[in-house]
Amino acid sequence: MTDKIVEKVAVQTDESRDQGRRAFLKGSAAVAGGVLFTKAASAAEGGQYDPKKAVSTYAGKEEMTEVLQDGAARKSLGFGVRKYPYGMPSPYEKEVQRRTLEWLTPDAMASITMTPLQSLHGIITPNGLHFERFHGGVPTIDPAEHRLVIHGLVERPLIFTMDDLKRFPSVSRIHFAECPANGAMEWKGVQLDSVQWTHGMMSCVEWTGVRLSDLLKEAGIKPEAKWLIPEGADAAALTRSIPMDIAMDDCIIAYAQNGEALRREQGYPIRLVVPGCEANMWVKYLRRIQVHDVPAQHREETSKYTELMPDGTAQRFSWYMEANSVITYPSPDFKMQGPGKYFVRGLAWSGRGKVKHVDVSFDGGRNWKEAHFTSAVLDKAWTRFEVEWDWDGSEAFMMSRVTDETGYVQPPMPQMRELEGTNNVYHRTAMVTWRVHPWEDGKNGGMIENVQY
Amino acid sequence: MFNTKQTLLASAVAMAATGTAFAMSGSGDGSANGEKIDGKYAANYAEIIKENNGEYLDPKVIEAILGEDATYGRTGLMAKLDPANPYSFEVDDSIDGGNHGNAQCKVPAAFTEVHEEAAKNYTNDADFKAYGFGKPIAEEATKVWNITVDGDGNNLPDPSVGMTVEEGGELYVQFCGMCHGDFGEGAKGYLPLAVDGNLVTSDFDDSSPMKTVGNYWPYAVTLFDYIRRTMPFWTPNMPAIGDAGYMGMTGYIMQSNYIPVGFDDDGNPIELDYDTVYNSELLMKQNKYMKNQGNFFCDHRPVIHNERCMSDCPDYMVGDGKGNIQNFEQARLLPDGTPQYNVPERMHEDPPGVGHAGM
Ligand code: HEC
Repeated sequence: MTDKIVEKVAVQTDESRDQGRRAFLKGSAAVAGGVLFTKAASAAEGGQYDPKKAVSTYAGKEEMTEVLQDGAARKSLGFGVRKYPYGMPSPYEKEVQRRTLEWLTPDAMASITMTPLQSLHGIITPNGLHFERFHGGVPTIDPAEHRLVIHGLVERPLIFTMDDLKRFPSVSRIHFAECPANGAMEWKGVQLDSVQWTHGMMSCVEWTGVRLSDLLKEAGIKPEAKWLIPEGADAAALTRSIPMDIAMDDCIIAYAQNGEALRREQGYPIRLVVPGCEANMWVKYLRRIQVHDVPAQHREETSKYTELMPDGTAQRFSWYMEANSVITYPSPDFKMQGPGKYFVRGLAWSGRGKVKHVDVSFDGGRNWKEAHFTSAVLDKAWTRFEVEWDWDGSEAFMMSRVTDETGYVQPPMPQMRELEGTNNVYHRTAMVTWRVHPWEDGKNGGMIENVQY
Repeated sequence: MFNTKQTLLASAVAMAATGTAFAMSGSGDGSANGEKIDGKYAANYAEIIKENNGEYLDPKVIEAILGEDATYGRTGLMAKLDPANPYSFEVDDSIDGGNHGNAQCKVPAAFTEVHEEAAKNYTNDADFKAYGFGKPIAEEATKVWNITVDGDGNNLPDPSVGMTVEEGGELYVQFCGMCHGDFGEGAKGYLPLAVDGNLVTSDFDDSSPMKTVGNYWPYAVTLFDYIRRTMPFWTPNMPAIGDAGYMGMTGYIMQSNYIPVGFDDDGNPIELDYDTVYNSELLMKQNKYMKNQGNFFCDHRPVIHNERCMSDCPDYMVGDGKGNIQNFEQARLLPDGTPQYNVPERMHEDPPGVGHAGM
C-alpha cells in the first residue's frame, strides 16, 4: 500500500516539475517554488481511512506495560537565553563531526577533513560540518583590511573593499562543493567502511555573494582575455586557471554560507564559487583575480589535480565533476534492524546541472527501481532521494545510480577502472556497493559493508 | 619522448583487441545526413542538442553528432583529441603541450548551455555600464602581490637575477631538505621532488607511481612559481631567500631531476653544471625539455556513455563487470574478523597501503 503512495508521489514530483517548468515558461503564477499541489495529492482514491486496518501491522506484537516515569528534563528548568550566544548542537550529537585520516597527508596545514554524510539530512550541510581542505592552514583575516583586486587584461583595474562588494546586486544559490579527490582512496580497491570516508570530501550549502560576471564586466574585460587566475591571500596563495566561459557562466564571489558570513575554513571573508566544478578551483581568501590570455600552468593544475592513466598519459585541466550518487541510509555506519520495510535514502548530484533520475539496485546492478526525490531538485546541488525496500533478510548488494539532465548515466566501478586504471587519484565517480549481510536471526548483527567489484 | 596521440592510439588498439570497448549497437540515424565539420561531425550539433532537451551527454545524441564508434571509452577519448570535434576540450595546436608553447583547453562547443549563459552574461550584454562601486588602482600598485609566472614564462625575474646551482643547492639543504630530502628523495612523509619512477602501470596491482618534477611535471616554470609562492612551507616567499635564491633552488631541483639544458651535436643531453649560474633564461630553455610534457591531454570525461537500464541489465553493468555479484573485495577486517566501521580504531592507524600517492 505504502508502495503505491510513494510511487504516486514520485510521479507527482516529476509531473510537478514538468508542469512547473511549463507554467514558468508561460509566465503563470500558479506555481510556487516550482512545486505544484494538485488535488490528487490530498484525495486518497478508493475508500476511507480504516483505523483497525491501519494498525493491523502491530497485531500480535508484545505490548509494553511498565508505567512511564518523568525524566530529568521534566524535573528541573533548562538553561536560559543567551547561555550560548551562538548556539551549539546537543552534547549527544558529539560524534557528528568532521574527521580526517592521518595517513592521507603528512601535515595538518595541508590536509583534508570529511563531512559526516551518514548523519546529515536533507541537502544542506551545517557550516560547522562543511568539509575542509587547506594547502597552507586557515588564516584569520580581518575583513576591514581585506581587499579584492581585479587587474590584468582589463580596461580599468579595480580594487574592492568588503563594503564595496556587498553593495553589488547579490545572488543566493545552493551548490555542492566537492574535492576532486573525493573517493580517491577507493580507486585501487575498497578500503573504508563509512560514507564519511568514501564520499565525505564534499558539502552543500547556500552561497550568497556577487556574480563574478558582474565584477568582471565592471572592470572592462578586454577581448583578448581568455583566462582568469584567481589567487588567495593565505600562505598557499592558491591559484588555478579558469577559462572565461566558465567564469561568465555562473560563478559567484561568495561572502556568506547558509545565511552567515563564510567560516574561516571556507574562505572568510570571500571565496570563489565555481558551481559544478572541482572545489580546488573555488579559491578561498580570494584577494586577486588576474585577467589573462593564457593559463598559468600552476602546481594545482599540473603536478596535482591531473589524472594519471594506466598508459602513463595524464588528463589536465579537469573542471566538471561528473554526476554521482550514494546511499547514506542504510550505509556501513548503520545496522539493519531485521527484515522488513526500509526507506533507503541518499544523495545525488551533478556538476553539469540537475539530477533527473536516481535508480537503486539491491542485486548488484541487475535490476533497478526508480527512487523519488524528497528535496528540491536544484542545479549543481545535492538532491535527496528515497526508495522503499522490503528486505527479506537475505544478502543484498545495494547501489544507487544517477542520471543527470544531460543524459549522463553513472557507470559501475569495473567499467571506470577498466578505462582509467587505479592511479588516477581524482574523479572516482563510479557507483559504490553496500553489501547487506544476511539477517539469519540476527547472527550477522545487521552488518552493512562497503565492498567493491 | 613519446607523444600523446601515439600513446593513446596504441592503447586504443590494445583495448579493442581485448574486446573491452563498450560500443553500443548504434542507430546512427541522424548522423549521416547534413553538413559536417571536417567531414566528420554534424555541423548542426547545437540544433540536435536542443531537439533532445539539451541532453548533450545522452548516448544517442552523441552518436547523432559524432557518428558511431567515435564515442565510447578509449575510442571516444581518442576521437576527442581532435579540436574540431564538438565534444573536444582540446585547443588547436596545443595537443602535445609545451613544445608548441603554453597548452590550453576549452569548454567543448557541445556544452551549449555554458556558452549560451556566458554569452548572455558577458558578450551579449551590450547595455552593461559599471556600477562604480570599486576604486581604480594602478597596475603598478599590484606588483608585490603579482607573483604569478604563467606557462609562457611571463613575469619571470630578469636574467640578471640568479645564483649558481651549487649555491642554490646549499639554500635548498638549509630550507627544504628536512622535509623533501637533501636530494629531493622525500622525508618524514612529505612529498619527494626528484624520484624517477615509471608512470606506466601494466597491472592494476602495481603500486601507485610517485609523480615528481622530473617524471611528471609538464612545465619547469611551474616549479619557480610554486616554490616562491608557497615554500618553505612555514615561511612562503621568504625574503632571506629572495628571487635569486628561489632561482638557484629551482636550478638545483632541475639538476636533481636530470632535466637537460639542451642537446649536443650527437643528440646527447647536456646536464646542468654545479657552477652554472641559473637564471630565467636557463629555466625557459629547460621548460622545453621536461620529459613528460607530451603526455598530457585535456580532460575528456565523461567517456562512458551507458544507457539507463532498469531490468535484466547486461553483464558488463552487473557486479564485477562480468555479471557475478559475489566476486567482490572487502575492506581490511579488524583483528576480531569484523569489518571496520567509522570507529576510533581507524583514526590513528597505518595506511591500508593501497592506491594513494599524495593528493
Ligand atoms: C615543513 C616542511 C616543508 C618544508 C621545510 C618545505 N616544504 Fe615543500 N612541501 C611541503 C608540503 C606540506 C607540501 C605539500 C603542500 C600541499 O599539498 O599543498 C610541499 C610541496 C612542495 C612542492 C610540490 C611538490 C609536488 O609534487 O607537487 C615543492 C616543489 C616543494 N614543496 C618545494 C620546496 C622547497 C624548494 C622548499 C624550500 C624552499 C620546501 N619545499 C620546503 C612541506 C615543506
